[in-house]
Amino acid sequence: MTRFRTLIAAIALTVPAIATASPDAAASLELAFNGIESQQGMIMIAIFASEDAYNGKGAPAKVTGVPATSASVKAMVGGLPVGRYAAKIFHDIDGDGKMGVNPFGLPTEPFAFSNDAKGEMGPASWAAAAFEVKAGANVHSISIK
Amino acid sequence: MDAPINRRSLLGLLGASAASAVITPDRALAGATPPGWALAVADIEADIVPQTLSLIRGRVPDGLAATLYRNGPAKFRRGGTASGHWFDGDGLMRRWQIGDGKATLAARFADTPKRRLETKANAIIVPGFGTLPGKGLEMTGPDDGNAANTSVMLAGGELWALWEGGSALQLDPDSLETRGFKTHRPELRQMPFSAHPRVEPDGTIWNFGGNGKNCAIWKLNANGSLSQVKVIDLPRASYFHDFTMTARHLIIVLQPWIQEKFVLPLSNSLTWSPEKGTQVLIIDKDDLTKRRIFELPAFSFFHLGDGWEESDGTIRFDGCLEADPTFGQRTASALIRGEHIPAPRPMLTQIVLRPHGKADMVAARVVAEFPASDKRLSGNLRSITTHVTGYRGPFPHAVASWDWQTGKSDSHDFGDYQLIEEFLFHPRGEGERNGWLIGTSLNLKAKRTELHVLDAARVAAGPVATWQADLPLPISFHGTLARG
Repeated sequence: MTRFRTLIAAIALTVPAIATASPDAAASLELAFNGIESQQGMIMIAIFASEDAYNGKGAPAKVTGVPATSASVKAMVGGLPVGRYAAKIFHDIDGDGKMGVNPFGLPTEPFAFSNDAKGEMGPASWAAAAFEVKAGANVHSISIK
Repeated sequence: MDAPINRRSLLGLLGASAASAVITPDRALAGATPPGWALAVADIEADIVPQTLSLIRGRVPDGLAATLYRNGPAKFRRGGTASGHWFDGDGLMRRWQIGDGKATLAARFADTPKRRLETKANAIIVPGFGTLPGKGLEMTGPDDGNAANTSVMLAGGELWALWEGGSALQLDPDSLETRGFKTHRPELRQMPFSAHPRVEPDGTIWNFGGNGKNCAIWKLNANGSLSQVKVIDLPRASYFHDFTMTARHLIIVLQPWIQEKFVLPLSNSLTWSPEKGTQVLIIDKDDLTKRRIFELPAFSFFHLGDGWEESDGTIRFDGCLEADPTFGQRTASALIRGEHIPAPRPMLTQIVLRPHGKADMVAARVVAEFPASDKRLSGNLRSITTHVTGYRGPFPHAVASWDWQTGKSDSHDFGDYQLIEEFLFHPRGEGERNGWLIGTSLNLKAKRTELHVLDAARVAAGPVATWQADLPLPISFHGTLARG
């Protein structure tokens, strides 16, 4: 359960303003979410630039969100230096800004990781979730389940 | 598994309850032929098309109309891999229906995420009681490991397949088609709802979920809607599969089979410590913080009978008690490999909790499992416990009714070729013996599963009616009876 709690701590964030691309960004990233079952609330995104940060030993490089208005939505993330990143995502269906958990602390709202990486029994690993952000425009698709 | 597994995450996901079994290095005898009882744990490959059964003995009792839903594991092996435990196969829901002078059978697998993932992988990869995780595993919560294979209940017209580490799975009562996990409230997703709910005479449903030192106590209304759910602390992280209750109290029996460490396979995390004895926790239904603990000598168990309370406050309930947890730990794993590791037999025993704090045990001195009783008397004084018995090898061959008032047993042995499953009481009129015992067996000689009706007042006379299906189904665990 601790690993699930770590996941929750890492992505249970207050609802931030939706980020817009910064004009001087080295790279831009479009996150395309699909498979959203409940068209309400927000898709909450935390992007990490290192394995340590991803594993809870540091802050996310970027935190953003996008309203879950349809089965597929997109979030633009700007201002990212070129490099290797991994994202943790959850669907804040009830809009309380937190990842829902049951009385035993297990997630009750859908979550996902970049690369559609799956955890075996907890969050997906950095190795499975990490992807390259190159100079210019990048698009990365993620299924929310 | 290569990746390090955090103990809390794994136990949380499976429910510590899932940590009940062990894969041991016991080897099947090299070159041994399959045992005669291999059909008991054989695989069923597809849903069973509804069929009319053949009446092979007796006649249908006048006016008898009943539906018996039964659940149990029926798929253990895929692509050269196998479940590590009898409790880990995919749940197959059976519907046995008696009425209009005939009987029918339909059976359908619970369409769980586990079954879908393992079908796709053509391998057993989802961890369970005694099964290790395999390559390609995807789990986001306990219900991804839910086998929906242990029991079944009807609530408010809904049919729920029950497991013990996750949510109830809702099925269509007619088509047996899977509808999805039962979610009472969004924040209660992935909460365990065990396979042994207890129902008061007015229909109020109580259940527990999760083990370890945290335990959810569920209270549902007769229509299946949620009344309350509360998480309580337990004095020890004991494994328990069943609980019981009286009209006023919940009764949780904490055997000294306790989670004290974390290793794989999971059940190696449980340590049998008989020197610690067994504790019985009594909780006030109206105030879950009001509790008493009674101390008893060590025993292990899976199943308990309905309890009741006497006017001076004495509490009585019975259970099928084992000297140690060998069956759950080793025997039930070995069965899937075709091997029988003898374990202490479950013995029918009444537990007496006296108001001044002393606890006693009264032995019936009969081997018994799958206890059942007249549900109209739930929480109130009763004397009859119906159970399977006549164990030879790993499985029972007989059904019996034990009378706690007279100390007498009324039993029928079906013979060496018949493996007997749970029998339930279906009332006809007033009285604990005034009704039918309805249950199933696996006939190893005919290679067919059978449905039996016995007169509850004359068990020794054997079935008044027996029907036969056109195929053998593996042994199932628990059922529920409905009128019509």
